[in-house]
Amino acid sequence: MEYKITTKDNQAQVVFRGDITFSENVSFRQLLKDISEQSVTRCEFDLSGVDMVDSAGLGMFLIAREQADTAGWKLAVTGAQGHVASMLKLTKLSDLLDG
Amino acid sequence: MTEKTGKQAGTNSELTQSVLGASILVVDDMALMRQMIGMCLSGGGYENILFACDGDEALTMIEADMPDILILDLNMPRVSGYEVARTLRADARYDRLPILVQSASETPEERVEVFAAGATDFVSKPINQPELLARVHMHLQNRFLIDSLTDFRERMQSELVMARDMQQSLLPEMPSVREIERASGFKLESFYRASFELGGDLWGSWLLPGDYIGLFVLDIAGHGVGAALNTFRVHATMARFRRARLDPARFLTELNKVLVPSFPLGQFATMFYVVLNYKTGEMTYAGAGAPRPMVIGNQGVRLLDSSGIPVGISKKPDYVNITDRLMPDESLFCYSDVLIEAPQPNGEMLGEGGLISWVEEQAKKPDRKNLVSRLLRRFFDAQPSSLPDDLTAVAIHPNKERK
Repeated sequence: MEYKITTKDNQAQVVFRGDITFSENVSFRQLLKDISEQSVTRCEFDLSGVDMVDSAGLGMFLIAREQADTAGWKLAVTGAQGHVASMLKLTKLSDLLDG
Repeated sequence: MTEKTGKQAGTNSELTQSVLGASILVVDDMALMRQMIGMCLSGGGYENILFACDGDEALTMIEADMPDILILDLNMPRVSGYEVARTLRADARYDRLPILVQSASETPEERVEVFAAGATDFVSKPINQPELLARVHMHLQNRFLIDSLTDFRERMQSELVMARDMQQSLLPEMPSVREIERASGFKLESFYRASFELGGDLWGSWLLPGDYIGLFVLDIAGHGVGAALNTFRVHATMARFRRARLDPARFLTELNKVLVPSFPLGQFATMFYVVLNYKTGEMTYAGAGAPRPMVIGNQGVRLLDSSGIPVGISKKPDYVNITDRLMPDESLFCYSDVLIEAPQPNGEMLGEGGLISWVEEQAKKPDRKNLVSRLLRRFFDAQPSSLPDDLTAVAIHPNKERK
């Protein structure tokens, strides 16, 4: 997994590439720390470059969602396609992650 | 040697105690040298110092009781220091014994030969006492750190093996599978393989009153100790809802209610639970995000809708029962996600579509009752032996055509 954060007018966009799996646990937490250090009101996770997400990866999105609620910013998960979109649909998490 | 490393293996004071309590064998044919090195070591706080006058005596002493470090002279009568080092290095028992060679000769060639013979380090004569103490201390500290890390690793490995065995014991045992098969007339074909690390897969099946069997598969997100411990939690929790077992959506709802507050954030279980009437083939099932089970018949494969919020996330998961019917020629096949997500030799994952085509191919062959084992043979032919996650695959096959 690779990611790139860009911030503009209190809005952050994180563009992910590669697979988001259990082994990305540590870097994902670092990412959340990076976001929380910037005072953002909204953050978009762009998954259009992600080929695969496993159940642990979905768990990390849930953690991000929780952190957004606690810190008072909005999380939007966008661009999921292929396997990633199927996973979000199968687990009915797209609504939960996008609000 | 940094303090940080020392702390990982044990506390620094423990390490210093081990180092000073270490047994040191000093080998030198000159009594004066033995005395000088002995005094230097005593002065440094070492108490357990032994002496040998030549290589032969050293090897005999080491064979009887291995020291923690050897301080070895090179030029000795009978058996030289080189021979001692070579003899020790040829014996796996002494792999980790540090050999500190002391010698008056300083030629580069000799140094190379000393290391080639198996020495760990080198001090020059005349001996600089603080340097000797520093080197002895460093090698002992290394030795104890490696010992302690090796012990720790071995212990962790045996603990993991034990944990894997315990986890495996949560799965249905042969006698109960046979009983379900006898009563239902179906054949249960199952496969489970734990990942190299611990994982969080579980499946189970039970006979229910009124010609029903229940079957569930579940997979706890992530892997490692946390996921494995949670399988025990889920397994124990499930035992509390015996009365809900005939109603899949209610069963998932009850389980979810208990697990939402107890699962840590980001952890959850994807699950599928089906109740099958083994006389009529009628099925009621509910899904919580497990991979879509396949119904495999002579006409091909159809998928069941197992979508649903995984167990342990939401206070209002709204699980629903869906009804279907297993026709007399049809099998039901459930599996965990590693089967479609593990990378194939071409680097791509198989995916649901890929698995369906494998299944369709296998379903055309006779003897459907071995379908899972044939599928997995194909899967493992292209996989390294250690999987990134647990693999579970369970199928219910009709044993004979129902009337």
